[in-house]
Amino acid sequence: MSLSDLKHSLRKYEFPACAKEALNRIEQLLVGRAAPSNKQLDVAMDIISEFVFCEADRRGGRDRRGGGLTPLQELQLIDIICDYLSACTNEITKNTVFLSLFGGMESQRRLKILSILASMAVSASSTPVLLAVGVWLQQMGCSSAQSLQLVENVIRDHFYLNTSNQVALKSLANSAPQFVSNFITAVTELYMRDAQGTTKLPPKNLLEIITSWVYSNPTLCMSAQLNPAALPSGSIPMAAVTPLAGLIHWCALAPLYIDDDSEMVEIPEVPMKKIKLEGETERSIVKTVTHKPLSESELYMRLHLGVLHSLRAGRRTHGPPTAVNAQHLAALAPVVQTYAHSVLKRGGKLLTDDKLQDCLDRIGQAVQVALANGCVYGNINNLLAALDTLPENRLLRIIIKTHQQII
Amino acid sequence: MNPQSKSTALSADLNNFIYGVSRRNAQNAPELTKTGINLLKNFPAARDAVLEYFAMVFHDAVNVSITQTDYETDLGANGSLESVSMIGPELCSLGQAWAPFIAPWCINLIMDIATKKSNVPNTTLQNAEPVRILLDITTQTLTLLNSEERAKCIDMMLGCWACSWAVGWVGRAEPALVAPRALQLGADAARAVLAHLANHPPATHHVRVAVLDLFHEAIKEDSKPEKKREVIPYLLNLASKSDIVLKALTQDIEQTLTDDVIDRLCNVCASQRSSPQWAEVTPPALVSLLIRADVRCLLLLLRHALTNLFCRQLLEYLLQKLEFECLFPDKSIPLLTSAAEEINVVRDKLLDGNQLEKYSLARILILVSYNLPSEFVSTISYLLQYSRDDTTLALLVRIISGTITMHVPNDSPDISMDTERYQNFVKTGVEYALRDAMLSDNEIKSTLFEDSVPKDQKTYLHHFCMNIIKMLRWENSNRVSHLRTRPIGRAVEANLYRIGGALQEYTSLLRVRRESTMAALDEMPTCHALAEVLDKVDMSGTKAPPPSVEVILKVVQATVKYFFRCLHLKDTLEKLRGIATSCRLLRKLCLHSKLARALALRELLETAMFREDAAFGSRPVMTNAPASGKDWRNEDLLIHLNQKHGPITQLTQSHTSVFHAGIIGKGVRKQSDMDVNDIPPILTTNNELLMGALMSCMVSDGNSGVVEGATSLSLLLVELVSPDVMYNGLPWPDEDFTKQVSIERELYMRGALESCAVARAALRRAGAARPALCLASALLRATAATLLHRLRAYLDRHTQSAEMAKERAALTELLSTMTLGQLLPHPLNHMLELAPELTANEIVQVLRDCLWNYTRDHVPSPALFACDSTGLHWRDPSTCKPPATYTDTLRLIIQKRIAKLGHMYPIMFLNLEKEN
Repeated sequence: MSLSDLKHSLRKYEFPACAKEALNRIEQLLVGRAAPSNKQLDVAMDIISEFVFCEADRRGGRDRRGGGLTPLQELQLIDIICDYLSACTNEITKNTVFLSLFGGMESQRRLKILSILASMAVSASSTPVLLAVGVWLQQMGCSSAQSLQLVENVIRDHFYLNTSNQVALKSLANSAPQFVSNFITAVTELYMRDAQGTTKLPPKNLLEIITSWVYSNPTLCMSAQLNPAALPSGSIPMAAVTPLAGLIHWCALAPLYIDDDSEMVEIPEVPMKKIKLEGETERSIVKTVTHKPLSESELYMRLHLGVLHSLRAGRRTHGPPTAVNAQHLAALAPVVQTYAHSVLKRGGKLLTDDKLQDCLDRIGQAVQVALANGCVYGNINNLLAALDTLPENRLLRIIIKTHQQII
Repeated sequence: MNPQSKSTALSADLNNFIYGVSRRNAQNAPELTKTGINLLKNFPAARDAVLEYFAMVFHDAVNVSITQTDYETDLGANGSLESVSMIGPELCSLGQAWAPFIAPWCINLIMDIATKKSNVPNTTLQNAEPVRILLDITTQTLTLLNSEERAKCIDMMLGCWACSWAVGWVGRAEPALVAPRALQLGADAARAVLAHLANHPPATHHVRVAVLDLFHEAIKEDSKPEKKREVIPYLLNLASKSDIVLKALTQDIEQTLTDDVIDRLCNVCASQRSSPQWAEVTPPALVSLLIRADVRCLLLLLRHALTNLFCRQLLEYLLQKLEFECLFPDKSIPLLTSAAEEINVVRDKLLDGNQLEKYSLARILILVSYNLPSEFVSTISYLLQYSRDDTTLALLVRIISGTITMHVPNDSPDISMDTERYQNFVKTGVEYALRDAMLSDNEIKSTLFEDSVPKDQKTYLHHFCMNIIKMLRWENSNRVSHLRTRPIGRAVEANLYRIGGALQEYTSLLRVRRESTMAALDEMPTCHALAEVLDKVDMSGTKAPPPSVEVILKVVQATVKYFFRCLHLKDTLEKLRGIATSCRLLRKLCLHSKLARALALRELLETAMFREDAAFGSRPVMTNAPASGKDWRNEDLLIHLNQKHGPITQLTQSHTSVFHAGIIGKGVRKQSDMDVNDIPPILTTNNELLMGALMSCMVSDGNSGVVEGATSLSLLLVELVSPDVMYNGLPWPDEDFTKQVSIERELYMRGALESCAVARAALRRAGAARPALCLASALLRATAATLLHRLRAYLDRHTQSAEMAKERAALTELLSTMTLGQLLPHPLNHMLELAPELTANEIVQVLRDCLWNYTRDHVPSPALFACDSTGLHWRDPSTCKPPATYTDTLRLIIQKRIAKLGHMYPIMFLNLEKEN
C-alpha cells in the first residue's frame, strides 16, 4: 500500500480513532521478518507525526490549534497507546512501536506525552507499558537529559503530588524490575550531586520506596542486565547501567549530609522550580506509610545493607564483571576530601569525626564486598589509588593493602 | 490488595472520563467531575486534562449563573453549578504541592472568563457563584505559593486588561505584591486595580507603601532621570483618577514631603518640567487634586507659599476655585470636609501662623462655616477664647461677616430669616466660648504646677472678656462696616444671663479654687473684665428686645456681689473704678426696670446690713445672737447676777432685769467698753460709696425715681430693722401705749438702727427724698420712744455719763433726720439747735409735748407732701404751722432760760407772732 493510500484511509477517521488505527498500520509497516526499509521507516514516522501526535496539519483538515493536542486529547491518545501496548503480545513488536513513537530525541511535546504515559502506567501498575518505558530508558541512556526529565516527572507525580500510593509502588519491583532498575539508576543521577553547589537530597518517601525495593529484592539491581531488552532487529542494544554505583554514593555520602538531629524537620530544598511546565515542587509532604517509620539515617543504613546484598548477588559466574564501574566509585574521593577539608577548617580531627569515619567505613564495606564478589569493572588500580588519598580509616587501610597485594 | 484489580478500576475511571468528556453535556457534569477529582488524586499525570475539563465546567457555570435571572432554577437542575461547588473545596484541599499547578490554571481561567465576559458588568460577574468560588480557590492557592511564584502569577493577571477586578480581589491576599505591580500599569488600569484592591481595608496600607515607594524612587538623586521623567506626572494623573491613590499620597503628607524631599522635588521639577509628559501638570490640574485632598496638604502648601512663588499662585487659584465651588450648595468638597474634621489644626494654625496662613485659613474657615453651621459656632467660640491679639480678632470679624454675607443674594425673600439664623449661631458661639472658658479655668494646668506661674496671669475667662470688650468697642465705634449689625453685641445681650452667672460665680467668695488651675488665680481682674463686658452692652431694650426678668435678676445680683467685692479692694483706684462700674451698671439696669431697682436696693441694703456690716463699721444687728466660743460660768450669767440683788418684785410688764443688769446672753453690760457703746459713724468712704450705689439705683428722668427709690428704701429699712410686722404703720400711738406694750420692740429697733451706720445713712437719704421718710415712721417712732423712756430714767443723774452722751447724739440724729424729712415744721425744726442746751428733764418734756404729741396728732404721711410743678414733693411751711399746744413747751423753756437760749426765740417764734 502506498503512502498516499495509507494516509487516505487513515483520514477517514476522527482523531482518537485515527491514532488507534495508525498504531496498527505502523506495526504492520515496521515489524516483519526483515528489517524495515528506509522508506518504510519514513512512512511510519510520517504517520506517527500526523495521525498519532497530530503534529502536522491535515490537509483540508479541521482547524487544530497549532497542530498540537489539547490535554484532553493527549489523555485520549495515552489511553489508546496504553491499550495498544497492553494488548500487544510480542515484546519485540511492542518495543519497536514504542521506540519509534518516542525514540526521537527532539520533540519536547512527545516527551511530555511520554512522561504522562509513564506516570499513568506507574499509577495503574501497568506492567507492559512500564517494561516498554524501562527499555526506552535504557536505550536513551539512564543519565540522558530526556530520561532525567521523565524520571523527574514521575517523581513529582508520585512522590510529591500523590503520596498515597506507596503499596502499589512497592509492588512494581516484582512486576517490572527492569523499569525499576533503570528508574533507580536515573534517580541516583538526580540527587546527591554537588552540581549547583547545594546538594539535593531525595525526598524521604522516595528513599523509603527505593530502600524497600533494593532491600527486599537483591537481584533487582542487576535485573536490567540479566534480562536483555527485546529490541527490534537491527537496532543497537545499549548497555544497562546498574544503580549500584549510584546507591553506593548515596549510602556513603548520607552520613555527611544527613543530620540525625534535624530528622523530620525539613528536607533540604530543591533550589529551582518552574511553574507548571517542568520541574517539581519544593517541599514534600512527608507522609510515611510504613508502620514504624524509620528515620532517614536508618533508611540509609538499611539501603546500604540492601546494596551490599545486591553486590553479592551481582557476582557473575561467567563473563567479565558488569555491576559497578571502578571510575564511578573513585568519583567519591573528591567529595569526601572536600568534606574532610571543611572538617579541618573547622578545627575538627579527622579521626574523631564520626560522620566522616562512618562515611569511610561505608565506602570501605562497599568496595570490599564489590571487589570480593568481582563486581567491579574498569581500572581497579585507579580506584585503590583514589581511595588511598582519603583520610585515615582503619578498614579502608586494610582493604587497600589487601587488594593492592592481590593485584 | 491485588494490583491487577486496582489497575482495572483505575483504568475504568480513566475510560469513563475520556468517554464522558467526549460526550460532555450538562447532565453528566457532576458525575464526570467526581471522576475527574478521583483521577486527579490517583493519576496526577492526568491533571492537565482534568483541569482543562474543569475549566470548561467553570465556563458553563458562569454562563448559566449570569444568564440566570432569579433564583428560579434550583441548583440541582444545573449540573455545572453543582460541579463547580464540588470542585472548589477539592482543589483547595489538595495541598501545597499542587498549588503551582492550580494557581496558574485559576488565573488563566479568570482571565479567560473576564475577557470573554467583558461585556457583562463587573459586579454581576463578581457576584456569580462560580466566579466567587474560583476567586476563593485562587486566593487560597496563592497563599500556598512562595513569593517568587506568587509574583509571577500576579504578573500574569495584571497583564490582562479585562480582569482588574479579579486582581483587586485576589490581590487582597497579597496586597504587598499587587500594589507596586499595579502601579507599573497605565493610569486607567492601575486605577481599576487599586480601586478593587482598596475595597479591602488592610490592603490600603500596601497601596500607600507602593505609591510612596514609587514617588521616592522618582525623586531619588543620581539615578537615571530620563526613566523617571514620567513618574510624577503619572502619579498625579493617577491621583486625579483614583481617590485611593490620592489618599495614599496625601495621607501624612508632612512625613512624605519633608523639607529635603521638597528641595529634591523642586530640582526634579526644574529639570523635567519642559518634557512633554509634564504638559498635563498644570495649576488647574493641581488645584482640582488639592480640592480632593485633605487639609494637611493645604497646610503644607501654606507653609511653602511664603517662600515659593508657585505655591503662592497655586494657593490663590485654590482659594478662588473653592469659593467658586461653594456657590453650588449641594456639592461636597473633600478639602472642606477634611478641614471640618481637622478643624482644630486649622484653628491652631490660624492663631499662630504667619500672615498669609492666617488670611488664607480665614477664607477656608468662612467656607467651612458656611457649609457647616456647627463649625461656625465652634470657630467663633474657639477664637473668642484663644485669640490674643487684634489681628486674630479682626479675622474673627471677617469670618463672621464673611459667613453671614456669603453668597446670600440680596433679593432673597428669607434674607432676614437667614441673618437671624446666623445671629443665633453667633450667640451660641459666644455662649460656648463663655462656657468653655469657665471650664478651662477649672482645668488643672501643668504650667501651674510647682509654682511656675506663667507670665500670663489672666484666666481664660478674662481673655474671653477682653476679646469681647474689644469687639464691642469696635462695634460701638461704628467705624467697622462688617459690624454694623452688631452681631457680637446682640450675641452678648442674648447671653446676659450666663455672663451674669459668670460674674456671680467669680465674685463668689465660696467659689471652689482648685490648685494648679487658672481658677486659683486672683479673680478680681476677671470680675472687672466681666463687669466691663456688661457695662459695654446695651440693656435698655432700645436696640434689642429688653432683657427678661431672669436676666435682670441675675445681672443685678451679680452686680451687687461685684460691688461688695470691690468695696474690699485695697487698691483705692481699682476699688473706685470697680465701684463706679458697678454703679453704672446698676443705673443702667434700674433705669428701665422697677424690678431691677427693687431687687438692687434690697440686695444692697440687706447685704450691707447683715453680711458686710463689718465693712461699714456696723455691729451685728442681731445683738442677741449667741456669742460663740465664750464659756459661760454660772456666776456670769445674768440671771444669777440679778438674783444676787436680792428678791426683786416682778411687776407686770416691768423690765427691770433688762434695764439694770445687761442683756440676756451677753452678761452684764460693761460700762467701760467703749467699743460696744460707740455709735458707728455715718461718714465713712464705704458708706458713701454704698449710698452712691443706692442712689444710682434711683436714677430716672426727673425726681420721681429718687422718690420712688427712697420710698422703697424706707420700706426696706423698716422691714429689715423691725423684728415683726406689727405696729410698722405710719401712725404714732399714745406715748403710754409704747410704755405699756411695745417698748421691747422699740428698744430692739433703736439698737439695731444705731449700731448700723448703713441704715442710718440710708434713713437720712430717705429723709432727703421727701416724702419717703414717712414710711420709715416706725423707726423714728422707735427712736423717739426709747429716748423718751431712757432720758426720763436718767433725768439729770448721769448728765455726763457715756450713756447720756449717746442718748443726746441719738436725739440729735433723730431730730436732724425728721427735720430733713420735713416731719417737724417750723418752729419745731429748731429743736435740733436747742437740744444740746437742754437738760434731760427739758428734753423729755420737749420730746413728749412737741415731738411725740405733734407727730401723733399729725400722722406723718405722704399725703402731707404736695407735688409741685417740678415734680418735687414738699410740705409748704405756711400751711402746716403747728398749733400752740405743741410749741408752748418750747416757748416756755426758752423763756425760762432766755439768757442762754434767747437767741433762738426770735428765729422760732417772732415770725410766728408776726403772722398771727
